[in-house]
Amino acid sequence: MNIRVSKEELQKRLSDIQSVVDKRATMPILGHFLLSVGEESYITATDLETAIKEPIGVLDIKERGDLCIPAKKLYEIVREMDGEIEIDSEGTEWIKLKTGKSLFRIACMNPEDFPKWPQFTDKITLEFEADKLHQMIDRTIYAAGESDTRYTLNSLLFHIKPGDKTFTIVGTDGHRLSMIKDSIDIDLDKEIKVIVPRKSASELRRFLAKGTKTKEAEETEGESQEVAESTGRVKIDVATNHVVFKTGDVEFLVRLIEGNYPNYEQVIPSANEKKVGINREVFMKALRRVSIISKDRSNAIKLDVSPGVLTITASNPDIGEAKDEIEIDYSGEAISLGFNARYLLDALNSMSSDRVIFELQEPLSPTLLKEEGRDDYLCVVMPMRI
Amino acid sequence: MRVILLVDMDAFFASVEQQANPALRGKPVGVIGSGKRTVITTASYEARSCGVKTGMNLYEARQVCPELIVVVGDNDKYTHTCRQLKEIYKRFTPLVEVYSVDEAFLDITGSYHLFGSPIEVGKRIKYLIKQSFGINATVGIGPNKLVAKLAADISKPDGLRWIKKEEIPDILEDLPVEQLWGIGRKTAERLRSLGIKTCGQLGRASSGMLRSRFGVLGEHLKAMAQGVDHSPVLPESEDFGDTKSIGHSMTLPRDIYTRTEIDRYLMLLAEMVASRARRYGYEGRVITVIIRYRSFETFSLRKRLSIPTDDTHLIFRTARDIVRSVRLREPVRLIGVSISGLTQGNNQIPLFEEQKRRKRLLNTLDEINTRFGSNTLLWAAALKSDREPGVISPAWRPDGVRRTL
Repeated sequence: MNIRVSKEELQKRLSDIQSVVDKRATMPILGHFLLSVGEESYITATDLETAIKEPIGVLDIKERGDLCIPAKKLYEIVREMDGEIEIDSEGTEWIKLKTGKSLFRIACMNPEDFPKWPQFTDKITLEFEADKLHQMIDRTIYAAGESDTRYTLNSLLFHIKPGDKTFTIVGTDGHRLSMIKDSIDIDLDKEIKVIVPRKSASELRRFLAKGTKTKEAEETEGESQEVAESTGRVKIDVATNHVVFKTGDVEFLVRLIEGNYPNYEQVIPSANEKKVGINREVFMKALRRVSIISKDRSNAIKLDVSPGVLTITASNPDIGEAKDEIEIDYSGEAISLGFNARYLLDALNSMSSDRVIFELQEPLSPTLLKEEGRDDYLCVVMPMRI
Repeated sequence: MRVILLVDMDAFFASVEQQANPALRGKPVGVIGSGKRTVITTASYEARSCGVKTGMNLYEARQVCPELIVVVGDNDKYTHTCRQLKEIYKRFTPLVEVYSVDEAFLDITGSYHLFGSPIEVGKRIKYLIKQSFGINATVGIGPNKLVAKLAADISKPDGLRWIKKEEIPDILEDLPVEQLWGIGRKTAERLRSLGIKTCGQLGRASSGMLRSRFGVLGEHLKAMAQGVDHSPVLPESEDFGDTKSIGHSMTLPRDIYTRTEIDRYLMLLAEMVASRARRYGYEGRVITVIIRYRSFETFSLRKRLSIPTDDTHLIFRTARDIVRSVRLREPVRLIGVSISGLTQGNNQIPLFEEQKRRKRLLNTLDEINTRFGSNTLLWAAALKSDREPGVISPAWRPDGVRRTL
């Protein structure tokens, strides 16, 4: 291979793939990326769970070919280079990078060994708004399990129902659940249910944000800068074991988890009669305060709901007690329940409305948290026995 | 002034075997860990008198004692006896610390007067053990655990000795340091290189010198040599809020290296850990696996879960994932599984019916095993045609949880 490429282009592309490149180096080749120069030129990186493929603009091609180059090292080098960079290979084992008088010679791996991008024979293609998908992941991912050995719980369920034309994302760790629903214009004869690992969903979220990032945000590269603002569309190819998301000409591949996702619809309560209206910020602050006492006791707190007043208490025999009262909009009969405050806080934190509706039934039955005036986004939280 | 009593069973495994099989009584018996490991774990006093020692391999033992009868150890028998022994001890005080399978400390400070004197308590315990199990025990009594242990050590077998506080200096004066509980061979060698051979010399050695050679341990060594020990008798109980970990380890009947064999032991250990956690209402967030290679090189790896658990399968699968994440360089001699980052009284209700069913299943399993004996019901994955008892770890306890990591 012998090509010339601008520093800016190479740096941008390398920056995009850094988060996908496997840093744990369980397999050395996963710390590398594949650079393919041909009719079309693109770079590919993978950690075997996710993969990203994007085109790279090349100024001049003298010789085509494939190379498998250490991703982090090359990124570090390119950042420190200026102007046009010449990439020249010696077989597949070495590359030389030249700019001005600077010269780097870097050892590479055999491109034949790099994992192949899967070929799909049987796939369904959908389209959705990128920023909507980003938000849906953002609002459900907190409830997914993280290190559970029940792998299906460490993931998000993407559920598409052609009947009522809905696209639903669900996350649950077995104690709480979040669900967000949107409409999708689709014509299919069967449902689509795919299970996306939490880590891949998190990468996907980053990818969706990146696809819509502004130039300025790109330069600062902070995670906080990842704001999805564009109205770009994402094309989704669903195959048996993989899903590929495409924005523009960048492709993001996710390997799916096999298995059965728990029946989430069954555990969403539909007839909780005790509806409590609460100011979200006030509720969160009180929960944070009181739960300090029970941090090392599963964040256990007690809620006493009575007309107009919610009393939050916590006690810990080793430390002491805490109590707080907040004003609520409620006129039903009194009820007391126990909770892991963390679960309520996570749910409230993912919401954005001023007020939330907390729907209760019995002390030990599932509870429902919703943004006021919105039914397509909800969180189910199981109480604790007190 | 505390009164601490140590009950130390004489040649415990061998005595239990002799009791179970009258043909073995009065004969030299050597208990080995299993059919494949051929190291003597316990020798009966008849065998000891011929020169058979713990740790000898079968060949060496037969050299000194050709008529030695070799018995493969049966851990279930020993642990069962140990549990029943504990019930005897609890008739005298609730403060019983089962220190190992054949040793238990009793704090009888507040209760000995009910039975007359400390010696009277010792006599009664010895009598009850002899009567119930037909085996001899040695009882050592002292103002602390260290001295009680010493009293038992110097009066074995079938002994009963009370070392009173005023007798301690005389007894310790000429006692070689390595005979003191807690001073190992290496420490004794280092002390000898400083010219310290007896507890008397160690007790008089300068604190500064000891501290410079042994660090914080130095002061502790000096105190030990003076017969001072403040460590409490720690009964196992569900009431402890500061429990740090629940764990089990097992030296395997023979060194193993295949994943399937390792998985089987992980399953067995996971169930031991999980059922104990469930009994005391604990859930753990950190799963640790300890592996000891044939060469005795030992390492541990841990994984943190997002939700604490007491579920056998979650602990097993996490432990298995941990082991799979490493390349084993040698056959494995010992495996341990523990959970830490414990929370107690986590009454979080699960969301899905399958989780609730799972909880009910585990509860039922525990109830059956509590009523009919452990391993009445066990997971098929832990079954193996030639699952033999490993050498029981000296740190084995019938129940309860550890308070140290």
